[in-house]
Amino acid sequence: MWEADVIGSIWRFFTSVRLALVLILMIASAVLAGTLLDQAPGSVIANSSAYDAWLERAESKYGVWTNVFDALQLFNVFHTLWFRVLIGLLTANIIACSINRWKGIWITAFRTRTRMGDAFFQHARFNASMTAQMPAAAAAERARRALSRAHYRVVSQSEEGAIALYADRYRLSRFGTYLSHLSLVLILAGTVIGGVWGFHDDEFIVAEGATREVGRGTGLSVELVEFTDEYDVQGPPKDFRSEIVIYKDGTEVKRGTVRVNSPMGYDGTRFFQSFFGQTAVMDVKDESGEVIFHDSVPLAWLTRDGERPIGSFLLPDKNLAVYVVGPRSGETDPMVPAGEMRVEMYTQSSGTLTTAENLTQGQTKELAGLSVTFVRESRFTGLQVAKDPGVKLIWIAAGLMVLGLAMMFYFPPKRVWAICKERPDGTAEVRIATTAERDFSQAKDFKNLHERVRLALGIAEEDKSRAEGGKNV
Amino acid sequence: MFDVSQYTFVAAFAALALALLMYAVNAIGVRGAARLSLADGGTWSSSSLGSALDSVGRYATILTVNAFIFLTASLSFRAIEAGHGPFSNMYEFSLAFAWSALALYLYFEVQYGMRTLSLLVLPVSVGMMTYATTVPSDIQPLVPALQHNLLLTIHVAVAIIAYGAFATAFGAAVLFLFQRRDSISWLPQSGLLDEIGHKAVMVGFPAMALTIILGAVWADIAWGRYWSWDPKETASLVTWLIYGGYLHARVIRGWRGTRSAGLLILGFGATLFTYYGNLFFGGLHGYG
Repeated sequence: MWEADVIGSIWRFFTSVRLALVLILMIASAVLAGTLLDQAPGSVIANSSAYDAWLERAESKYGVWTNVFDALQLFNVFHTLWFRVLIGLLTANIIACSINRWKGIWITAFRTRTRMGDAFFQHARFNASMTAQMPAAAAAERARRALSRAHYRVVSQSEEGAIALYADRYRLSRFGTYLSHLSLVLILAGTVIGGVWGFHDDEFIVAEGATREVGRGTGLSVELVEFTDEYDVQGPPKDFRSEIVIYKDGTEVKRGTVRVNSPMGYDGTRFFQSFFGQTAVMDVKDESGEVIFHDSVPLAWLTRDGERPIGSFLLPDKNLAVYVVGPRSGETDPMVPAGEMRVEMYTQSSGTLTTAENLTQGQTKELAGLSVTFVRESRFTGLQVAKDPGVKLIWIAAGLMVLGLAMMFYFPPKRVWAICKERPDGTAEVRIATTAERDFSQAKDFKNLHERVRLALGIAEEDKSRAEGGKNV
Repeated sequence: MFDVSQYTFVAAFAALALALLMYAVNAIGVRGAARLSLADGGTWSSSSLGSALDSVGRYATILTVNAFIFLTASLSFRAIEAGHGPFSNMYEFSLAFAWSALALYLYFEVQYGMRTLSLLVLPVSVGMMTYATTVPSDIQPLVPALQHNLLLTIHVAVAIIAYGAFATAFGAAVLFLFQRRDSISWLPQSGLLDEIGHKAVMVGFPAMALTIILGAVWADIAWGRYWSWDPKETASLVTWLIYGGYLHARVIRGWRGTRSAGLLILGFGATLFTYYGNLFFGGLHGYG
């Protein structure tokens, strides 16, 4: 039956905690690499020439290592196949371990052996033996009450000349491990759902007075009524807010203010304040005086030297691409003086510069045979648009994770067994014992429990006890 | 209020520095006494040297408690003055880290009656407070991204509890490595150090999970996505994974003890990296 052997060894592979440890440490290393090294943005990865340029810049930072890191795909850790394989293996590992342990945990929680043999009471790590001056039945009843008062759930079992007690506490906490481990699986499921059925648009730019469609099948469009930024006297920003109107298929459905930490949502799509900037309202007329362009051009990007804000629009009928460059902020700009806009016109097909001129506000100039006017400055808001149907699942999973960890760490399951045996002289021999790790706080727990039972049985001095711990300080 | 906060900070600093000194005297003295007792064959705890050391240790504890109270006062006055939790810049955050390490240390000292751990945990506090003196301490208004009082307070408060717990676990792990063969009479037994490390992670690991979750909730509100692979976010995930690895390692034969102590030290390295990560890498947590 070689098939059974293969399946058996695959099963053993996936059910080992050692695999979990190895995977966790590997993922931690990968994530660390993703933090330490610059990560190429998604838009750069998608475009091979942009990525080459990105690598060239990276080379100045990482030198000869650039090629090594690139070969290992360390500039894009979180989206690589091997990272996903690691996460997939960990998920399989978690699920396999969960299935594997279920039966054992179920039995320990609900079907525990309530009667232990004499050897257990003598050799358990924590055990104690007492003599009560009363019949076994009375001693067992007192021990039972003492354990109940310590919030233990007690099961008793009578037999010839002896009564066995089993007591436990927080037995359901054994399932905490399921909550926190499966929550990881749910979180991954949530990210997959979000990735497949959700979308993010980080650069949804709307100029004041303009309306823009969200697209992606939402049927929504957004109008920016006004953008406001406020600053403290010392300079740091205090508030950024956009007054927006949301339209669904052309009908106004919601109106309100979006600010940082206070997004606005409609029908699962949410709008977040992200950035803002200036726009230039431009007006272009052709030779006959007909308006062929009139719009607010957001200067939402930076020129190649990274110094000036730049925006663009196309005049396809004229085969022209028009770039509008704003003045450098801070210092005086010799190329674009404050209050002016530089207009550069390129032939769209060849990309060659046709003409470039500076315009002051309200000024009209003849450029490439067209009359171009810089009407006025205005503002745009940069919103982030997000729809993520997986996010609810993620919050549920996060709640389960915390609940599971709290159960495991703060309400750990406890068990104790006791036996009360009738002696010929009418007294009772009472033994209590528990399975536990060598652990200071468990030793303390056992000592407390022993103390409670001892007092309940009316025994003055402590009998022979083998409780360890407590003395190793 | 601001002045009172500064004064109490200085008081806490002084008390803590003195406490650390006395803990050191206590530890070195206990060591000397242990040697002495080996020579005499007697017990040192009954000797006059022993009782003198005991009182040095007690005063060290009292001073640490005082430092803790002063630091609590300093953070409280500052919070009252600023109108938000004292967690909005590196100065406030360093004080809070120092506070949390002190709180966790005191808890374990009381719980286990052990002072040696102070030699490793208190320097973390002192270090954080020293660092705090080098960064601007004036109260700045919150930038828009931080203007969420409830989340700011809980997210960061839980984070500093995790950091303090990991500092304690680190202290226990370092002592464990010295003591792994139980060969040093004046140090606590290795089993106990192993347990303290584990107990501290039991505080820190869920706290770190909660920090990451609350951070994700906040990111979802402020930035529109619960996870952005921002350096501080990612570093905190690394830290959490390392402690997750530690918790799993403890159930594997051969990993308990020395190797898991190694993971605790690595984890604290990651913790510090997470703490300072925003200074090195900027990113979304770049608030100063």
